[in-house]
Amino acid sequence: MPSSNPLPPKENALFKRILRCYEHKQYKNGIKFAKQILSNPKFSEHGETLAMKGLTLNCLGRKEEAYDHVRRGLRNDLQSHVCWHVYGLLQRSDKKYDEAIKCYRNALKWDKDNIQILRDLSLLQIQMRDLEGYKDTRYQLFMLRPTQRASWIGFAISYHLLKDYETALKILDTFRNSPMICYDYEHSELLLYQNMVIQESGECEQALKHLDKYSDQICDKITVKETYGKLRLQLKQYAEAAQVYKELLNINPENTTYYARLAVVERHTKPEETLAMLQRYEDLFPRALAPRRLQLNYAIGDEFKILVDRYLRRGLHKGVPPLFVNLRSLYNDQQKVDTIQSLVLEYKEALKAHGHFSDQEKDNPREPASALLWTYYYLAQHYDHLGLTEKALNEIDAAIEHTPTLIELFVTKGRIYKHAGNVQEAYKWLDEAQGLDTADRYINSKCAKYMLRANLIKEAEETCGKFTREGVLAMENLNEMQCMWIQTEAANAYKRLGKYGEALKKCHEVDRHFSEIIEDQFDFHTYCMRKMTLRSYVGLLRLEDVLRAHPFYFKAAKCAVEVYLRLHDEPLPDPTQAQEIDTGVKTTPKYSAGSERILVSEDTVFVYTLLIHKLIKSKLSEFIPSMTPEPHSRKRADHLQQQQ
Amino acid sequence: MTRSKIELGDVTPHNIKQLKLLNQVVFPVSYNEKFYKDVLEAGELAKLAYYNDIVVGAVCCRVDTSENSRRLYIMTLGCLYPYRRLGIGTVMVQHVLNYVYKDGNFDSIFLHVQISNEGAIDFYKKFGFEIVETKEHYYKRIEPADAHVLQKTLRPKTNQTNNQQNNQ
Repeated sequence: MPSSNPLPPKENALFKRILRCYEHKQYKNGIKFAKQILSNPKFSEHGETLAMKGLTLNCLGRKEEAYDHVRRGLRNDLQSHVCWHVYGLLQRSDKKYDEAIKCYRNALKWDKDNIQILRDLSLLQIQMRDLEGYKDTRYQLFMLRPTQRASWIGFAISYHLLKDYETALKILDTFRNSPMICYDYEHSELLLYQNMVIQESGECEQALKHLDKYSDQICDKITVKETYGKLRLQLKQYAEAAQVYKELLNINPENTTYYARLAVVERHTKPEETLAMLQRYEDLFPRALAPRRLQLNYAIGDEFKILVDRYLRRGLHKGVPPLFVNLRSLYNDQQKVDTIQSLVLEYKEALKAHGHFSDQEKDNPREPASALLWTYYYLAQHYDHLGLTEKALNEIDAAIEHTPTLIELFVTKGRIYKHAGNVQEAYKWLDEAQGLDTADRYINSKCAKYMLRANLIKEAEETCGKFTREGVLAMENLNEMQCMWIQTEAANAYKRLGKYGEALKKCHEVDRHFSEIIEDQFDFHTYCMRKMTLRSYVGLLRLEDVLRAHPFYFKAAKCAVEVYLRLHDEPLPDPTQAQEIDTGVKTTPKYSAGSERILVSEDTVFVYTLLIHKLIKSKLSEFIPSMTPEPHSRKRADHLQQQQ
Repeated sequence: MTRSKIELGDVTPHNIKQLKLLNQVVFPVSYNEKFYKDVLEAGELAKLAYYNDIVVGAVCCRVDTSENSRRLYIMTLGCLYPYRRLGIGTVMVQHVLNYVYKDGNFDSIFLHVQISNEGAIDFYKKFGFEIVETKEHYYKRIEPADAHVLQKTLRPKTNQTNNQQNNQ
């Protein structure tokens, strides 16, 4: 370790102890040893010791002192890789990654083969998606440590991410043929990763050959088959592809995508062909639900009526609560809606009269007593979906009259009110449902959500509190668990109540979760390479790249934008004046007028940027309807007209 | 067609409101908080009945040690109207009978029935209950106010035959 200012043996031993204390998290002892060196007037300005003391102070939460020491240390020894590395680590702990990268680079100037610094640098580069830099660093690590598996893997991944598939594959091939590899699950994952790289290079044929050659070494048999199917389809080898999907269906006859793929590889041109195929599979797998349900998508007219009749009866007989949800996608076809409605109405009358689904079956054994209940329940959801609130309420009330102990009925009654716009009544019914089974977390969450829609924030918090950790405020615990939906709902409730500060707080909590999720990647850069879960790792990197396109983020950002616009258009009055001219409008100014304006302008730009970012990435249509003016901005429009 | 499923489940603080709701609908009398508090402690003596996974009935009993005997008193046993005559009551009575046989230390089981409730009287007779007494003005707010006491006497000596019944 060349240093411009080497310590004599005694002090050097102390310095090594500082390093050891830092590694073992014995920060207090580390400080003690640092003080011993620095108290000697000859070494009181020793750069590396000052830097290490600073780094240790940082771990104790004394950030200001830490920066002070590290900077002073660096000034005293600009040619020390230790000082630069430490400065980088400090910046990294402060999430200033760009700065940290610069520091690491400086450190490498003075010690270009330092493995630890190179590793730290590579982590930051992949985190920041500096793919070229990452490739260079991985190359150096590879050259320095060619016997380590991670060196090979990281090296290959860096080329894959740069879309240099050829080089990536060469590295993987050489690696696989080296004695470092053993034949186990990790090897199997590596082969699948290699196949993924080949596929992404566009060489389907090569991928197929690769799969042929190694399929018996791959443990994940389903993925092998699915990849075969996908490749053969891409290569238009339809007969072979069909064979693959048939085999897959034998393994899992409930996978709907297999049927869809099969329809493609069998070159269906008319829905009748797909329908016939599905009927064949229904005979083949009489217990499978998927082929029955899928037939309803393709059948029309009388055939649809026969099929949906059978499907509905089966569901109502068994008591399948999500039957309506399962069929809802058929509701974009008015004819199908009419058929379903007339059938279910017929069931209702017949079940009421004599306990059968139709008058023709009077001699058969009666349907279970719950069949009528589920029929009412279905009709309620059916009418609710069609916007027929009155009829929906009649049906749900009949269901509750029939079986007042079924909790789902109260949830549905609440939902009907919600859809009709009556948030008060909606939450009351959800609260009723929640009380009937306080161990049901789904209903508990729904109830909290409905309470927030009715602006009952305190009540919602109490409801959630039944499931959050004891001894901690419910909202704090939910924040800790990154429970975003409730934070977004709470933000909107606060916004409606005019508590803009609180609303923004919630929105920013959501934003912070997204930052944290991006931060959390750090754990995977090393872990995935060690565990060889490379397909998932690359998948994760790609997900993180578009993370803020997630609907949760959009919802929170939209709320924040609306609040910021509102505050920009109508700044909150100065809190001291607000008390004098109390107009009865309930606003709780969070910021004083001056500071708030700065905040608005800065943060509005920030949120706007994010929103535009999202806008580019997502469908425009999703955004447009959300821009319908809120009441206050409509008022503004009226005002403008008057002026004109 | 599959047969309907009838099962019994515990009463817990989480689902006690379902029991309250059920009793409210099934019985003309309303029970106080004390009743439900005791039910939570009753263990096997208080059960909800599920029909195809829906709560449709319930049975609540307590041990009665008055009159120098140890008797099981059925406080409530009921089922929602649309689910009657489907065997749910039988499952609940059978559960109670199994309980007392297994315990082996009960002299009898008894309950009160409004004198007009012929369905219930016939139902209990099937299980060997008999009318042993009629109490006038037993009920306060419903008509008729008189109640029969139905009782099934258990002979502790006949444990063996009872055990056979248990194993059914």
